[in-house]
Amino acid sequence: MRVVLVPGVLALLPEYAGLDDPVAELRAACLEAVRWLGDGPVILADPQGERVARALVDAAGVSTSSTTGDRSTTGASAYLVIGNGSAKRTEKAPGHLDERAHPFDEGLGASLRAGRPEVDAALAEQLWASVEGIGRMAELGELGEARVDYDDDPYGVQYWVMRWER
Amino acid sequence: MTLQLGRHAFSDEATLMMAIVNRTPDSFYDKGATWAEDKAFERVSLVVEQGAEIVDIGGIKAAPGVEIDAAEEKARVVDFVARVREAFPGLVISVDTWRAEVGRAVCAAGADVLNDAWGGADPELVDAAAEAGAAIVCTHTGGVTPRTRPYRLEYDDVVAAAIHDTVAYAERAIAAGVDPASVVIDPAHDFGKNTFHSLEVTRRLGEMVATGYPVLVSLSNKDFVGESLDVPVGERLTGTLAATAVCALAGARIYRVHEVVETRQTVDMIETIAGRRLPKRAIRGLQ
Repeated sequence: MRVVLVPGVLALLPEYAGLDDPVAELRAACLEAVRWLGDGPVILADPQGERVARALVDAAGVSTSSTTGDRSTTGASAYLVIGNGSAKRTEKAPGHLDERAHPFDEGLGASLRAGRPEVDAALAEQLWASVEGIGRMAELGELGEARVDYDDDPYGVQYWVMRWER
Repeated sequence: MTLQLGRHAFSDEATLMMAIVNRTPDSFYDKGATWAEDKAFERVSLVVEQGAEIVDIGGIKAAPGVEIDAAEEKARVVDFVARVREAFPGLVISVDTWRAEVGRAVCAAGADVLNDAWGGADPELVDAAAEAGAAIVCTHTGGVTPRTRPYRLEYDDVVAAAIHDTVAYAERAIAAGVDPASVVIDPAHDFGKNTFHSLEVTRRLGEMVATGYPVLVSLSNKDFVGESLDVPVGERLTGTLAATAVCALAGARIYRVHEVVETRQTVDMIETIAGRRLPKRAIRGLQ
């Protein structure tokens, strides 16, 4: 089983493309990871994140016959999880600076790296973190150590691209 | 249709800045600032740096004045065209002339476009363009003699007249052998037109665009802007850019300008609003 986490960044959608790509490095990491996932991943995401997931699957050139994880998610060979940390990491972040953002992201990031994501859903909501898909990763069991392809907050939002193989 | 300007091709979406470079001692806007050849060359370097795709080199001011014969006109522009050609191989070189004799000489020196501001006054200009594989700009002047001011000219419908005359000129150029992809039309604001005519042509520019020929507009600092706002030359940039915006929304393709940077920004903004150009870089609210 392969699992990939990418952030639900709307700038990744083709309808929001500009002449210059403000998330070029992130996009490259996302596409490489989605290609590594292979055809037909099950998507674990909120509805907006699902749009991002489908756009990435299309752009990566893998099969788009993916099912959304509303139903039973177990038993698939590939999962594409959409989620990210806080959007309150700097004064210029979308949600302005919240001092709880960094410790929240550090904790969430560490748990993701370990393959056992732990989410404080109430705090996530306050910090504008998108964790619906990450919360559902628990259904997949322990994933082991992640390979981290991307870990940055270029616009005050914490993004990760991670891969797990079990 | 791809736009072919001499040795340079442009896509259907491209809007182009044509920067005015005067090799004249007396043009209305710069008053001879680039009369000296080195000054004109500096102007070319500057507008290239500013992103102009085309330079429009002219050796005779449009308004009445000292008569300049073909020999003198050639002396002003031909060697200069050759110098610009050599220094800027990627630049489209247009020459503002109505004379076939001058047209042939500048094409031989490397010009890509013959910009005939005087509506085909010399019937052989189309042959000069065809022989050289150059593009031609077909303007509407209402049939006036070159270098005369409009005096009590009236039209039943100035836009219909502009379309009729420019399309007829375009068809004549194509019949003479000019590549159809190399024919541009221009309503020629203020040429054979009073301010009301130029305003109407601006307001209804979409009708010229609908002909299918790429449309060039030459609005920069002209008298219809000055009379509309009661401002002298030198204070017409805002009005010029407003007129530019209206023409851009209607779909004009080439903008003959003094101010490259300001016009480029205006056109890009309008093209972006119209959905014909993407924002340069958008991240706000999309992080």
